[in-house]
Amino acid sequence: MPEDRSRSIKNIVIVGGGSAGWMTAAALSSMLPAEAVRIVLVESDQIGTVGVGEATIPDVLNFNAMLGIPEAEFLRETNGTFKFGIQFVDWGRMGETYFHPFGPIGVDMNGIDFHQYWLRSEADRPNSRIEDFSLAAQAAKNGRFAPPAPDPRSVLSQLRYAYHFDATAYAAYLRRYAEARGVQRREGIVTEVHQNGETGFLTAVELEDGTQLKGDLFFDCSGFRGRLIEQVLDVAFTDWSHWLVCDTAQAVACESSGALLPYTIATAKQAGWQWRIPTRERTGNGHIYASHWMDDDAAISSLLAGLDGQPLGEPRKIRFRTGHRQRLWEKNCIAIGLSGGFLEPLESTSLFLIQEGISKFLALFPSADMPESVRKEYNRQLVKKFEQVRDFIVLHYKATERDDSALWKYCRNMDIPDTLAERIALFREAGRIFRYEDELFGKTSWIAVMLGQNIRPRTVDPIVATVAPSEIARSLQSMTTAMSRAVAAMPTHQAFLQKFAWAA
Amino acid sequence: MKPDELTIVVCGGGLAGSLAALALANALSPDVRIVHVSDSGEPADDFLYGSATAPDCHNFLHALGLDERTLLLESNTAFSYGTDFRQWAAPEPWMLCHHAPFPAPDGIPLRHFLTRTGAALAPLLISAQAAALGRFAHPPENPQHPLSRAEYGYQFVPDEWAELADRLAAGSRIERIREDLAGVERHGDLIRAVRTATGKSVCGDLFIDASGQNRHCLGPLSSQFRTTRRIRARVERSATPHLGPPCRMVEATASGWSATTQLQDSQLKIHIDASSDDDTAPESLPFSLGRLDEAWVGNCVGVGHAAWAVEPLTPAPMMLLQRDIERLLELVPASKNMAVERREYNRRFNNDLKHVGLFHDALYRPGSPHVGAFAPPDLANSPPEALQRKITQFENRGALVSYDLDPFNEEDWTQNHIGMGRSPRRHDRQLDAISLEQAEQTLATLRTSVEQVASRMPPHHVYLARFKAYLEKPRHA
Repeated sequence: MPEDRSRSIKNIVIVGGGSAGWMTAAALSSMLPAEAVRIVLVESDQIGTVGVGEATIPDVLNFNAMLGIPEAEFLRETNGTFKFGIQFVDWGRMGETYFHPFGPIGVDMNGIDFHQYWLRSEADRPNSRIEDFSLAAQAAKNGRFAPPAPDPRSVLSQLRYAYHFDATAYAAYLRRYAEARGVQRREGIVTEVHQNGETGFLTAVELEDGTQLKGDLFFDCSGFRGRLIEQVLDVAFTDWSHWLVCDTAQAVACESSGALLPYTIATAKQAGWQWRIPTRERTGNGHIYASHWMDDDAAISSLLAGLDGQPLGEPRKIRFRTGHRQRLWEKNCIAIGLSGGFLEPLESTSLFLIQEGISKFLALFPSADMPESVRKEYNRQLVKKFEQVRDFIVLHYKATERDDSALWKYCRNMDIPDTLAERIALFREAGRIFRYEDELFGKTSWIAVMLGQNIRPRTVDPIVATVAPSEIARSLQSMTTAMSRAVAAMPTHQAFLQKFAWAA
Repeated sequence: MKPDELTIVVCGGGLAGSLAALALANALSPDVRIVHVSDSGEPADDFLYGSATAPDCHNFLHALGLDERTLLLESNTAFSYGTDFRQWAAPEPWMLCHHAPFPAPDGIPLRHFLTRTGAALAPLLISAQAAALGRFAHPPENPQHPLSRAEYGYQFVPDEWAELADRLAAGSRIERIREDLAGVERHGDLIRAVRTATGKSVCGDLFIDASGQNRHCLGPLSSQFRTTRRIRARVERSATPHLGPPCRMVEATASGWSATTQLQDSQLKIHIDASSDDDTAPESLPFSLGRLDEAWVGNCVGVGHAAWAVEPLTPAPMMLLQRDIERLLELVPASKNMAVERREYNRRFNNDLKHVGLFHDALYRPGSPHVGAFAPPDLANSPPEALQRKITQFENRGALVSYDLDPFNEEDWTQNHIGMGRSPRRHDRQLDAISLEQAEQTLATLRTSVEQVASRMPPHHVYLARFKAYLEKPRHA
């Protein structure tokens, strides 16, 4: 069936640069032939972007692969480093630390999840931690890195990783990529937006100099202001601040010190938490807090006190609202990035949500009349993603025994979404956890955080009740031995990067 | 803390009851008492579990002690590479075969090569090709060998497998009460006991309803069965001189369809016909397709036909029965208050039924030959959203929308789309780097190697006879 050319999208306008704008531009330019679709991105050097040191999850590899970006070049251009997971400090209780690794924890046996065996034999090994059975966690704690092995029989094949990098450098890199594929960049500020009087569809954005950029489709990548989705289309916002009470961040980079860690650190604080993201030459730091319970000065001193190197410049303040647009795609405008919604980066999902916004759009690529059914489906899928990530982040706040500050007292007692309450109930009963359809965070992630923050099952799963703990102990012992050997053979993170990316 | 000590009562014989009882007894500690109440007969609708399995059934049965040796030596089970569809959406036959991930030359999915060159799929697939030639051999270990990509399930008869399971159960700790079910004793919304025909009361904490469409336990709990359509079904078995090809054949008929299954000593033919009000054919069984809203109600879980009924058009019925039992094992209540387990069970039950429904729905649209006689009643409506997405994406650019937890994999869906005549409007842009001649050459090489391997394989009946002789040698006893 020939495509109906008259109804296909021919002009796309992206408002705003930054990670969201340039990721969108790069992805569209790689998928759409430049001769058929004209893509223009408007951004202004006068408007800053929010990009700081950025941590990611393994899905970012798919995005780069879709664009055909060589990994070593990407790491060089963005001061990138590798990441095997996140270390959480002081979350369940003060003084406690746990690791949320990428990739599996342990090996499932006889169709039964590994963590059930681990729970069954836990009493016999008082100092054992489930993360001891994650290759990624072990490698990370030893400062080592190796890529996954292609041979599925190798223990190294189960490794999964993501990156830390400089988001501003990433945007610049993607800008070159997109411009080489025909995307036109226009410097300027959008002063006016034109709409079709009948349908309300956007027809053009007008810049200060009077230039009109006409489009069939508009991407709002303008950040928190929502230049199109809010200021023009006035799409309401679903506010989740009763579950995620933090609303402010202070971010600053500092000089790196010590070994280059292949993991992010998230440390719980009095009224929020602090991140540490190691990139090649500097370390990104930020303090996210609830302004209701902490003022800026206190937040800044807490941030600066927590740095492990000299700060590079003054902390930058970012105000945010947690939640999402009720409809991320309204008429012929799609909000991607902060204009569409925000969830604090506790599980490094910011770029992932941008990526989802783009890939779900490409999967549903519409004709120029933007059928209602397509928009509805897009909004359904995106809202579901936001909700999934929300539940996982809320878990970190809810599963705590801390009562040393107002924020923690509030969080441990707050009502949580039903979907999350159900998961916790199922785990508390007999340590059961099941994958939900099309879910971002898999079983391993839920298990790592629930056990890491002391949610303990009331009883072992009846299905492992018959297995003798001594039998389990033997299997577990052989797993740790294999993992220790594999970790010892890996190069250090620094050495691997040096050889793989920096030397060239 | 230990899980509560429970008594689980499995109600009903036949395939679902026997496999469920055996699986529970194998997996759970002796603290859990397992009682199985059924007379020796199986529910009349058991033959509608179909007569073919998907490859992953092998591991499920193996874990129960029903290994391949037992299945081949002690029942008439034969191998299955899939289903051969005749007069289905197209005049030419097409295969829905079991296959490891399709080869992806230069990292580009095979389906894009087909779009580019217009080539057919089946000659590139070793299991389809071998099935068409009536040949079979076990896949070798060597992953380089083309035959290693062939996956296989079984062709079987439900009552034979139920009997094998019963035989294993006889030597186990299952308490078997060989009596018919007469009713249940309720305590509020829960079942306290089941009553047998002789008036015996069997108390329990959890009841597994495996009584087929009788729904002896779930019926009284007023769980709603939603009928999507009524059909009539009958089965006939006839002796054959030797075992036929390693695949089932599904053929459209004037008023429905029939499935022919090849067994070691015979052929099984299931006839499915549209039901009509004045239909009085005595030998055919009325059967309501559909499902319960919730398979776990109170303290009672329906497995198999007690909870759902789907056409045995693909291995779906056996896939679902297997998943029912696996889901049950994963959610055996840790305490007598089973609310958490119940909600999770029902959520996953819904998911599995939904996915199977989509796959079958896709086998009726578009181009089904039955639009008059055997069209599903909702065929006139547009497909469910999730199916629409799969169809649109495939037709647009050959993209496969996959949902995880789908019991049918990408290979199954690719064959479903292509077999049903759906074709992508454009190939993937990655293929532009390769010339049409190169693409055709790549496929020709693949086709030749598949042809060569398939032609050297022994006929199904010869292979099976030899393999059985090998299994019967004393060292395997």
